[in-house]
Amino acid sequence: MRSTAFFAGLRAPNSASLVMWLTALAVLMLVGLPLLFIVLQAIFPGFSRGEFAGAFSHFAATLGNADLIRLLLNTLQLGLAVVLVCALLAVPLGALRALTRVPGGAVWDILFLIPFMIPPFIAALSWMLTLQPRGYAQQLIGLDANDFLFSFAGIVFVMTLNVFPVVYFAVSRTMMSIGGRYEAAARVSGASRWRAFWRITLPLSTPGIAASLLLVFALTIEEFGTPATLGAQAGYDVLVTGIHNRFSDWPIDIPGAALLSLLLVLLAMVAFYLQHWLVTRRSYVSQTGKPSANVQSELGVWRWPVLLLFGVTAAAAVAVPILAVLATALTRTLSGGLALNNWSLRHFDALLNHSSGALPALGTSLSLAVAAALLTGILGALVGYLVVRAQVRGRRVLDLLSLLPNTMPGIVIAVGLILAWNQRFWPVQIYNTGIMLLLAYTCLLLPYPVRYSQAALRQMSENLEAAARVSGAGFITTFRRILLPALAPSLVVAMLLVFAIASRELVASLMVAPAGTVTVATFVFSQFEQGSPGVGMAMSAVAIFTTTGLLVALTVFSGKRLPINP
Amino acid sequence: MSSSVSTASIARAVIASLALAGASLAAHAETLTVYSAGPGALINSLAADFKAETGIEVNVFQSTTGQVMARLEAESANPLADVVISASWDSAVDLDAEGLLLNYQSANAALVPDFLKADTYVAQGVSALALIWNRNSSTPAPTDWHDLTNPAYADQITMPDPAQSGAAFQLLTGLISAEGEDATWELISDLSANGMIVPGPNARALNPVLQGAKSVVFGAVDYISLGQQANGEAIDIIFPTSGTVIAPRPMMILKSTQQPAAAKQFIDFVLSEQGQARVAESYLMPARTDIPALRPTINELNIITVDEAVNGQREAILQRFAEAVN
Repeated sequence: MRSTAFFAGLRAPNSASLVMWLTALAVLMLVGLPLLFIVLQAIFPGFSRGEFAGAFSHFAATLGNADLIRLLLNTLQLGLAVVLVCALLAVPLGALRALTRVPGGAVWDILFLIPFMIPPFIAALSWMLTLQPRGYAQQLIGLDANDFLFSFAGIVFVMTLNVFPVVYFAVSRTMMSIGGRYEAAARVSGASRWRAFWRITLPLSTPGIAASLLLVFALTIEEFGTPATLGAQAGYDVLVTGIHNRFSDWPIDIPGAALLSLLLVLLAMVAFYLQHWLVTRRSYVSQTGKPSANVQSELGVWRWPVLLLFGVTAAAAVAVPILAVLATALTRTLSGGLALNNWSLRHFDALLNHSSGALPALGTSLSLAVAAALLTGILGALVGYLVVRAQVRGRRVLDLLSLLPNTMPGIVIAVGLILAWNQRFWPVQIYNTGIMLLLAYTCLLLPYPVRYSQAALRQMSENLEAAARVSGAGFITTFRRILLPALAPSLVVAMLLVFAIASRELVASLMVAPAGTVTVATFVFSQFEQGSPGVGMAMSAVAIFTTTGLLVALTVFSGKRLPINP
Repeated sequence: MSSSVSTASIARAVIASLALAGASLAAHAETLTVYSAGPGALINSLAADFKAETGIEVNVFQSTTGQVMARLEAESANPLADVVISASWDSAVDLDAEGLLLNYQSANAALVPDFLKADTYVAQGVSALALIWNRNSSTPAPTDWHDLTNPAYADQITMPDPAQSGAAFQLLTGLISAEGEDATWELISDLSANGMIVPGPNARALNPVLQGAKSVVFGAVDYISLGQQANGEAIDIIFPTSGTVIAPRPMMILKSTQQPAAAKQFIDFVLSEQGQARVAESYLMPARTDIPALRPTINELNIITVDEAVNGQREAILQRFAEAVN
């Protein structure tokens, strides 16, 4: 981990050093520690029992497995396909949103946040309930798309609809902050609108777009819900399902799972360096502190095809899953289908009367999601600053470390956290408390604020901070008065994503939730496991509408300050 | 986040949230920790009843057998669970072989049949494997495992993955014990040739049949479906004429427990008349033979005795299964 070089670099005496030290320490504890324990577990098979015998004895058996190459290639293929389809769908959507006056702009933004609040396994299940034979689509319009859904294309389709908003928001926010100024300059110099877009706006947006596409790649290769739900029937296995099987099939093979996880991390590191190479080749400073009006073009006759594009996307990504969730939640039995005499509120009733605690689960998830959003937001802004601005050695290590969780499946982080924190030597036992869930969410979701703040900082001229320093401001003041407000638009979007994802995170929650604590996702999951899909869907509906309602309220109360309503 | 929001107020909010999360979830020293696979409603009501009777608080972690076992394994340096309830008999046998379980014979286990208890574990309840058939489907009602190789069921069959469902694995060992290796693998190959899919653990195999995308589950645990049938789903739970296997759910106390007395009290309670009545409510067979069940019991079903030697060949059987369905 080259820690000596890293800390030597931090020793530079300035007012920032304490904050930077704490930031580095926090990232090391949050991400480095569980990763270290996973590495130790991969090397020493008996590590979870406190034994160090038989180092590397698992490597041959796990790596020599004939299936491994297939799993690796499938993972890579799936990641690349989802990135490609996401780019084709979301880059045009984001660019249109930023540079033209799309009717109902803010409404589309809110709609495109909703996919984050739908747990991926619920989305996959919804598509199954919709497209399989005798599914909702066949009951309503006679459409049976079973063969499409349970295929590679179907998996890519469903996963794209889950994650494309990452790219949409990155592209639209980046292009908005670049503003129409550069385009105006280009047009004054005689460039056509298209030429200005291709030569100026698009290249200047590269850091944001590249970062978001890498994020999509990382999210895709570590996602479990969709491959597990659709992949099994399609006969399509990926690394994550392999890892998950090692964790959940008796006898449990934690060392094998740890080793496969490290492979996944390696895969993502390659993507990480690719992105790093891409965005640090040139300077992308476009924000100099001078006020810029964001000039949006009129769409004219193009407004109808553009609206159609937004509408179809929203229908597929939001309306279909939500309607399937509601249909399942509001029908008495699945076998009764969408018949009039099958409508019933009994599943919602079960939520209210249930002794299993649906409402406490909602409260737990929401408060943890708020805490995770605040923690990752602050930490993400600091890490972003440290990596982009501070001239310290070892910042690349910190950068890598802060982005790694995106490449580690939730279950791996959870096991790393258990191994790390369930030890007798800690003075305070935080294992088996709610702090574990907060640690897991913060670790898993830290990459969002880090990426967004880095992309924003790369576009911000250093002159702003220099001016503040010359005027006598210390680090804290500069950070608070100059950097934070400038970072705020991207950071708030990232924090909203963190909130949305944390409020429904499943895989890690299943492992680290202390006994006696239920979250929204673990509640829904057990309802499905125990054969109550109606109750599970009713809870999903309540959670999706609550989180969406909170975000809409936040947007309304914040007036024009939030980027979601620019 | 506008510039008017100070870092101090953000910090306060974080600390407040942390305190909230920590305080509401902090574990009590005097509470019993139970890890349970299986019905959440069952373990929650058992915990509530137990607290009402003894005053001892029970912290429940409820999930699938796989998650419960993964958690035990990850915690093995510093185990936290006192009592574990699994849905897979094998897992108790393995934990016992590793010497992780406490010896305890509850007085209330006197009426539990011998094959449902050992020195360190005892059944909480028992399920059986069945064919689950959708009454609205266009297929005829099956009566035996072998019926499903009939072309009438082409592309209409699902099966829980024996790698992910202990009960489905038990079915394979039962079929091998009763009919022999060759016949069993021929049956699985024929089912696969007939378009059978293996979508995951129990609920994933069941859901397509509930909606009607498929018509019949080959080898699902019965109690979930019995509950769904009681709730009005148009399904039948059919116990095959040639026999089926049972999946007992072992309860055990970890040797590492700090509260052996309370843990033993809990086992006693689950095996009491009141506890066993709760088990029956969830459509499982009670472990005790004197408690009435809401469903067919061991005495009424044609049960295949699983050959212990077959049970030990897990890896080989799962490997062979994967070959047969691919």
